[in-house]
Amino acid sequence: MLDVFFANLPYLLKGMLITIEFAFGGIVVGTLLGVGLGILAVVFPSVVGKLIAVYVFVIRGIPVLVWMFMGYTGLGALISDFMAVLIVLILYTSAFVAEIARGAILSVHHGQIESAKSVGMRWPLMLRLVILPQAINISLPALVNNSIMIIKATAYVSVVGVWELSYAAREVVERTLAALDVFLGVMMMYFVICYPLAIIANRLEKRFAFQH
Amino acid sequence: MDLRYLISQMPKFMDALELTVGIGFFGMALAVIWGLALIGPRMSSRSWIRTPVIAYIELVRNTPLLLQVYVVYFGLPIFGILISGFFCGVIGLASQHGAFLAEIYRGGIEAVSKHQREAGKALGMTQLQSMRLVILPQALIKIAPLMSNQLVLLIKDTAVVSAIGVMELTLAAKVTIERSAATMEVFVLIAILYLILTSSLGLVARGLETWQRKRSSR
Repeated sequence: MLDVFFANLPYLLKGMLITIEFAFGGIVVGTLLGVGLGILAVVFPSVVGKLIAVYVFVIRGIPVLVWMFMGYTGLGALISDFMAVLIVLILYTSAFVAEIARGAILSVHHGQIESAKSVGMRWPLMLRLVILPQAINISLPALVNNSIMIIKATAYVSVVGVWELSYAAREVVERTLAALDVFLGVMMMYFVICYPLAIIANRLEKRFAFQH
Repeated sequence: MDLRYLISQMPKFMDALELTVGIGFFGMALAVIWGLALIGPRMSSRSWIRTPVIAYIELVRNTPLLLQVYVVYFGLPIFGILISGFFCGVIGLASQHGAFLAEIYRGGIEAVSKHQREAGKALGMTQLQSMRLVILPQALIKIAPLMSNQLVLLIKDTAVVSAIGVMELTLAAKVTIERSAATMEVFVLIAILYLILTSSLGLVARGLETWQRKRSSR
C-alpha cells in the first residue's frame, strides 16, 4: 500500500534532514537560552524576573504558527527564510524551557539553599554546586517532552513556505495524488524521531519519581 | 499605526475569532470525551484490546498535528467521506489531544491509592460506581493542572486549520497582512485576541480547580 511513499523516500529523507536541522538548532539553542532565562528569573526576581515572566506569557500564549508568520514576514527580508523560522523556533523553545527551569530551581528544597547560604556561598557557586545538579534531574523529563513538542512544531514551518519534511510531503502528494500513502508514511518518519525521545522521557520520569 | 484600517477590518476578524472559538470549543469537548473513551481499553487487562490502543495513542502523540489534519482532510475523501475543513480540524484536535488527555487521566487514576479501590469494593460498589464516586473525583483533583495545560495547548493548536484553508484568526491575519502590509497592526490585534483566549481559559481552569479542592476538602 505504501509503494508511492517508498518510491519517493529518497526525496522525503532530504526533507527529514532539514527537519532534523530545525529541531536540533531550535532545541539546543532554545534550551540553553531558556535555562539562562530561568536562572535569571530566580536570581533577580524583581525587575528582570517580571520582564521574563511577560516574555514567557506572551510567547507561550500565542500559537507558534502565528509566530512563524510574523518571523517570516518580519525577518524574512533581512535574513534567509530558514534563519527567520529557526529564530522563531529558538525563541518559542526558550519560553517553555524558561518556565521549566524556573520551576525546577524553585522546587529544589529551600533548606538546601539556606544551608548553602549559611556556609557563605554566593549565587554563582550555589547554582553550580547545589541547585543546578538537583534541578537538572527534576527538569529532565519535562525538557525531553518539550523537545518532542518542538520537533512536532517544526512541521508548521512548511505552512509559511519553508522547505522541510512536511513541505516535501505536500509536494509529493501534489505530484502523485497518493495523499494517504505519503502522509501516513511521513507521519511514521516523524514518529521514528519522536518516539525514542518519548520512551526516554518516560524512563526518566520513573527513575526520578523514586527519589522523592 | 493605522487604527482606522484595522477598525474597518474588524468584522472579518470577529468572524475569524468566532471560528477559532468554535473549533476550540468543539475540539475541547470532543477531546475530553475521546480521552475518557480511551482509558477503558487503554487500561484493559486483555492485551489484544490494550495494544492497538497504545499504538494509536503513541502514534498520534508523537507525530505533528499538521500531518494528522492532512491525513483527515486529504485522506477521508478517498473513501468518499467529504467533511468541511472546520470539522477536519476538530477531528484532528480531538484525536491528538484526546490521546494526551487519556494518558493524563490514566496517570491520575493510577495515582489514586489502591486501598481506595479496595475500600469501594468492600462497600459493595460495582466497578463503575467506585470509578464514579471514589476514584475519578480524587483523580480529577490531581490531574486538573495538567488537563487545563493541555486544553490551553489545544486552543493554540486551532491555528493548524489555517493550513487547510479555514478562515480562522491566523489565516485571516495572514490574508490581511498580504493584502495591506499592515503587519504590525494586525499582529498586535491577533496576539491580543489569542492571549485573551488562552489566559482566560487558564483562569477559568484555576478557578474550577480551587472550587473543586474546597468542595472535596469539606
